[in-house]
Amino acid sequence: MNLSDRIDDLMTKVLKPSRYLGSEFGSVMKNAEDISVRYAFLFPDVYEVAMSHLGMKILYHTLNKRDDVWCERVCSAWPDMEKLMEESGVPLFSLESRTPVKEFDILGITLQYEMSFTNILKALTLSGIELYQKDRKDGPFVICGGPCAYNPEPLCDFVDVFTLGDGEESIHQTVDVYKRWKESGAPREEYLKMCAREVDGAYVPSLYDVIYNEDGTIKSVTPKEGSGAKELVFKALVNDLTAADYPEKLIVPYGEVVHDRIMLEIFRGCTRGCRFCQAGMVYRPVRERSMERLLEIADKLVKATGFDEISLMSLSSGDYSCLPELAHEMITRYMKKRVKISLPSQRIDTFLKDTLKETQKVRKTALTLAPEAGTQRLRDVINKGVTEEDLIRAVTDAFEEGWSAVKLYFMIGLPTETDEDVLGIADLAEKVRKAYFSVPKNKRAPGLRITVSASVFVPKAHTPFQWSGQLDKETVIRRQKMLKMELNKVKGVDFKYHEPDVSYIEAVFARGDRRLSKALCEAVKLGCHFDGWTEFFDNEKWMQAFKNAGIDPDFYAARNIDVNERLAWGHIDSGVSQAFLKREWEKAQKAETTEDCRKGCVGCGVKRYGGACQ
Amino acid sequence: MRAIFRFGKIGRLRFVSHLDLQRYMQRAFSRTELPIAFSQGFNPHPVMSFASALAMGWISEYEILDVKLDKPVTKEFALKEMRSALPEELYVYDVKFVDDRHASMMALVKMSDYEIKIFENADKIMDAAREFLLSDTVMAIRKTKSSEREINIRPLCVYMSSQENLLKTRLMLTEADTLKPDLLLKTLSEMAGIETPRAEIKRVKLIGLAKSGRETPLMEL
Repeated sequence: MNLSDRIDDLMTKVLKPSRYLGSEFGSVMKNAEDISVRYAFLFPDVYEVAMSHLGMKILYHTLNKRDDVWCERVCSAWPDMEKLMEESGVPLFSLESRTPVKEFDILGITLQYEMSFTNILKALTLSGIELYQKDRKDGPFVICGGPCAYNPEPLCDFVDVFTLGDGEESIHQTVDVYKRWKESGAPREEYLKMCAREVDGAYVPSLYDVIYNEDGTIKSVTPKEGSGAKELVFKALVNDLTAADYPEKLIVPYGEVVHDRIMLEIFRGCTRGCRFCQAGMVYRPVRERSMERLLEIADKLVKATGFDEISLMSLSSGDYSCLPELAHEMITRYMKKRVKISLPSQRIDTFLKDTLKETQKVRKTALTLAPEAGTQRLRDVINKGVTEEDLIRAVTDAFEEGWSAVKLYFMIGLPTETDEDVLGIADLAEKVRKAYFSVPKNKRAPGLRITVSASVFVPKAHTPFQWSGQLDKETVIRRQKMLKMELNKVKGVDFKYHEPDVSYIEAVFARGDRRLSKALCEAVKLGCHFDGWTEFFDNEKWMQAFKNAGIDPDFYAARNIDVNERLAWGHIDSGVSQAFLKREWEKAQKAETTEDCRKGCVGCGVKRYGGACQ
Repeated sequence: MRAIFRFGKIGRLRFVSHLDLQRYMQRAFSRTELPIAFSQGFNPHPVMSFASALAMGWISEYEILDVKLDKPVTKEFALKEMRSALPEELYVYDVKFVDDRHASMMALVKMSDYEIKIFENADKIMDAAREFLLSDTVMAIRKTKSSEREINIRPLCVYMSSQENLLKTRLMLTEADTLKPDLLLKTLSEMAGIETPRAEIKRVKLIGLAKSGRETPLMEL
């Protein structure tokens, strides 16, 4: 039996075969013989999550526009499939042509969240690729990008090249360099050096030496002599998003996926400067796609996919400079075609009443707001430039326009947080409830529903809070319980919160260094995978893994780092300068805010690189 | 008016579930310029139905999709639009148009023709098939979502013939009386005293009854 038949054989035994079928409408098939570079793009999670990821769609499209490249998708096998594959010796394969991953030239992996790291190792093993980069003699080059690449250190031992920043152009550079390297017949290491020298935002970890101090902190990370690797690696930056490649057709999955709709990225970056937010820092500067271009893309995608919903994506859609015009135009254009327009991650202070009216014409889902903290003091600490007044005005507007469901997102464990700040969350929920009842009964929709969600704060690299330790588990649990009791007093509130264990592991890797590779290997050996899924996360195994690796996880997660210490990711430049981050960290502790940089440059450092930030 | 499409489901797409296929077809309609009629109400959706759900894993060259149109279109246009909106593994063979008052395709289905290609122990299965045809009673356990019941499946098999490793059969397919080809194969295997062999099940026709009572393929009714 050939591989495809062997895969089909497993299809009768797995829970959801549609995850492994490929051949969806819009997927790209090519003749392998006409191709010079075969690129496997791995999203290290299950198909439904992978197919909801915009970055993969963009890169898949831009690579497949080329005649000399065929980019195919690879997803993690869900545990039932993984087990069957291991038992029957079926290697990890691409969805399009069902080619074993090992036979590709390049394996690109997107790093969206730390809790997918074990899945990456699992995917390499299942592909039959040597786990450690240094042991690889053949098989594809492993290239990783995405937000977690901004602290790539925990994955350094497994990865050939990291690409930082926007991938639309740098992914082509990795391919072009590959073609040249292949023609030259040079040894494997040479490709890595070529990438380090020539590809924008390329970081090749094997070209650096790390020296540690006696106390376990890092003394230095320096490029190896003559390697040509840079001391400070600056991310790749696509300055003109309007001109950048964007998919004009999309893959339409058979089964239901998480985001089953057209995703339209209206801009990249954010000017707000929330101090906990890694995306808000590393995606700077703000680059908008023109309204004209967005409408052109939307038209094409509606026709090409048949999706009945378009969601406008960005870090803060309310900040798009012509949002009301865009929303209005899209709603009128697509009403007849029954295509709904949705605006995710609303920012309350930009939430125009007019926009509310427009969106409700089409659909009335829960209004989602993220005050993040319960008191004004703490919101100032995190620089969430939103007041209680803003929030109450926004929800009152929404209630008057017929909304009755509100979701409120908060974090527990933010730097300087006290019990009082946490109790403030319940206070805010009560005020939202009052706002609802302040709207006359005949004007409001019945059935008020308030959902309060509180996640656990995780300090991230390249943010002003990168120096802050994570709040200890006991205090987090105590505050969760306290808040739960307090919210019980507010009628109609649903409180959602998570076990802090996952957030702890996330914190370990978010600020981790190269020594963690051992712990990752141990965790995978013990059976850790799909750690982002509650049903698979196993804290005991993780603790065992750290023990086996001789690693104290508190050193990474709980420790307050001195601002003068050499950071594990200190050789990575996200555009935002360490000096700015330090200033912000100091201001945070004094609860001083920094203005949105649309209102005036705050000197974050991105201007050093010119381009879109002028 | 309504458009009745006959399409196939082959290759990897045999593992697409019926529910997923329904959603998929709705989207496929949106990719066409066909004047699909939508239901009224809060959550409008295309007025469509399938003649019969195909089990996951089986292939077919005779699936029927019944969809309401707001205005007439030509056969050529309907075929061209649907073919461009679907992958090759969901190939549209044919279309016909019927009046809105025409009975639903689902109500017309009485039987289904299958071809079962048997990959192992075909000779033993064929022997069992002959024994099956000579019997008046063959008991088997039919499982439904809610119950498990032992029934006589012999009368539910209208005919059966063999050609090398291919078993061709016409089985009842109504709400009251249904025999699925996998249960038939399992029963034959048990009669032969072997494990159910690896097999490929293909639906080749859906059959209804003409006014004369004659068994007639659905598209010709």
